[in-house]
Amino acid sequence: MMGQFVVNNLFHRPVRTLIGVLAIAVEVTLVITIVGLTSGMLQETAKRIEGIGADIIVQAPSSTIFMGFSGSPMPIKIGDKIAELRYVKSVSPALLQFNTSGAVETIWGIDPVTFREVSNGFVFLEGHDLEGPDEMLVDDWQAKAKHVQPGDTYKVLNHEWKVVGIVEHGKAGRIFVPISTLQDLVGARDKATIFLVRCTRTDHTPDVMEEMKALLPNYPVRPVKEFMTLMTSTNIPALQTFINSMIALAVSIGLLVIFLSMYTTVLERTRDIGVLKSLGASKGLIVRALLAETTLLCFLGIFAGIALSYTVRAGFLKIFPTLSILITPGWMVRAALIAIIGALVGASYPAWLASRKDAVEALAYD
Amino acid sequence: MGITVTIRTNSGVNTEPEIKTLEPILKVENVWKLYHAGKVEVPALRGVNLDVLPGEAVAVMGPSGCGKSSLLYVIGGLAKASRGKVLVDGNDLVSMTDGERTKLRRHKIGFVFQRFNLLPALSAKGNIAIAQYIHGDGFDPHRFEVVTKMLGLVGRLNHRPSEMSGGEQQRVAIARAIINEPKILLADEPTGNLDTKNSEIVLDMLRRLNKDLGQTIVMITHNPEATTYFDRVVHMRDGVIVDGIPAD
Repeated sequence: MMGQFVVNNLFHRPVRTLIGVLAIAVEVTLVITIVGLTSGMLQETAKRIEGIGADIIVQAPSSTIFMGFSGSPMPIKIGDKIAELRYVKSVSPALLQFNTSGAVETIWGIDPVTFREVSNGFVFLEGHDLEGPDEMLVDDWQAKAKHVQPGDTYKVLNHEWKVVGIVEHGKAGRIFVPISTLQDLVGARDKATIFLVRCTRTDHTPDVMEEMKALLPNYPVRPVKEFMTLMTSTNIPALQTFINSMIALAVSIGLLVIFLSMYTTVLERTRDIGVLKSLGASKGLIVRALLAETTLLCFLGIFAGIALSYTVRAGFLKIFPTLSILITPGWMVRAALIAIIGALVGASYPAWLASRKDAVEALAYD
Repeated sequence: MGITVTIRTNSGVNTEPEIKTLEPILKVENVWKLYHAGKVEVPALRGVNLDVLPGEAVAVMGPSGCGKSSLLYVIGGLAKASRGKVLVDGNDLVSMTDGERTKLRRHKIGFVFQRFNLLPALSAKGNIAIAQYIHGDGFDPHRFEVVTKMLGLVGRLNHRPSEMSGGEQQRVAIARAIINEPKILLADEPTGNLDTKNSEIVLDMLRRLNKDLGQTIVMITHNPEATTYFDRVVHMRDGVIVDGIPAD
């Protein structure tokens, strides 16, 4: 009976219910999408690093795991010294340039020969490898996003590049140019951001790392496999704070809308509350009825929010094909719990208010 | 203190009538109800005394503002008397907590209001069944069928209040009030919002409840005709019962 009462009350004012459901849906969508976007981008970046096929990455001192932001502080000669170490099969320098002009992207300056040795080369979907100084490779996602194909001109860093090949995504970056040209363009002659190292055998990685640490004591030397675990929002300064702030904002929206919705509901149902009291309904029953209604509203909002999250992701990926939004069951559950707790907090004061109403005044309410 | 009444219990020849003492189901003793308008105390009831026997139907009449509704709310435990005693089936409402009065209301009191006060989101069936749910014994299909048949609601049970006439709504309200077999049915001007025909139907039903089922009823009314349906009529003026006091 109580279930029927709650359901009927919920649908008695469909517009009010719809607004409540939308508010919860927006809250859930915000949480799922923001977390999905950050974790998706981080995981995708980590996968691309792992996808290179190198065993070790050497970075400059004080650089972060986000190599695109690290500049180019290492002399390229370091690569020669690394190459002399035991069990090192090949070393490839790479210069990474973060570009925000026109689009947010990281351009990888590579040496095609050594990069091929370290990574076993690209999988070409179209075209051929870098041969000339102004040539460029793009991966298939970037090609789709920018609508480019071999033979097209791609302007970036105020330089016109000729796209000569489309490669399969998942290896290093999305845009590759010759390292020497990029060094000239950004004023970093004979400099590199990272060194990609391949060992003669993977199980030699610890030995090589040990020797590298002795050779380059202040340089972060990491096995590539470690990047997957390091690529989390907590390792990026302020990112976790940003995510938490956005979640707090989303929860605030849900909480305030539910508060307002249930508050007006209680006002509107003042006489009904008086009737329930005249029938002998306890304060607890009145609170339970309102909180049950809120929970049901919340569940509808959660389902709508999850559906909306997938819709938003599809929309984003259509507009920005290089984005990666990771929607996980874990965060769906967390977003649902956040929404339910926020909604119950928002509804608790109106519910308490309803339970405290004077029955005689409530029955006289117009 | 009981009231001595004579009840003829045996129709046999040469049998003396048996004398029984009936306790009032409702006993109101020197009840005051004060409302506060800022710092000013406004008395709505000023020492009301009233006894109602089990199975009795009592109509309370009086001009607007004389305290009839306040008396009903105090008897029903919706409002607490400021002074005096209100005994419902032996339980003193004045000494009870809010929770205890709620429980007593749930089990011993049924209300019928002038404005029907049905829950708009529920059907007629839902409006009656929710009283059973609150009562705590769950849905009793037999009792439900008996009550709805008696009140002529069988064909209207799936309709919402907005889809029913005033008379039908009031019959649903009566069904809701009596579904749990309360000791006392309190009706606050139940015909106040009805036309003559529906008023007669509702009053007739209340009378049948009283005569056929022995339902104790206390009804507030402005309608002089309504009083003809009841065993006893008490008059109120300025917060007191004035029966026995000569009219001006």
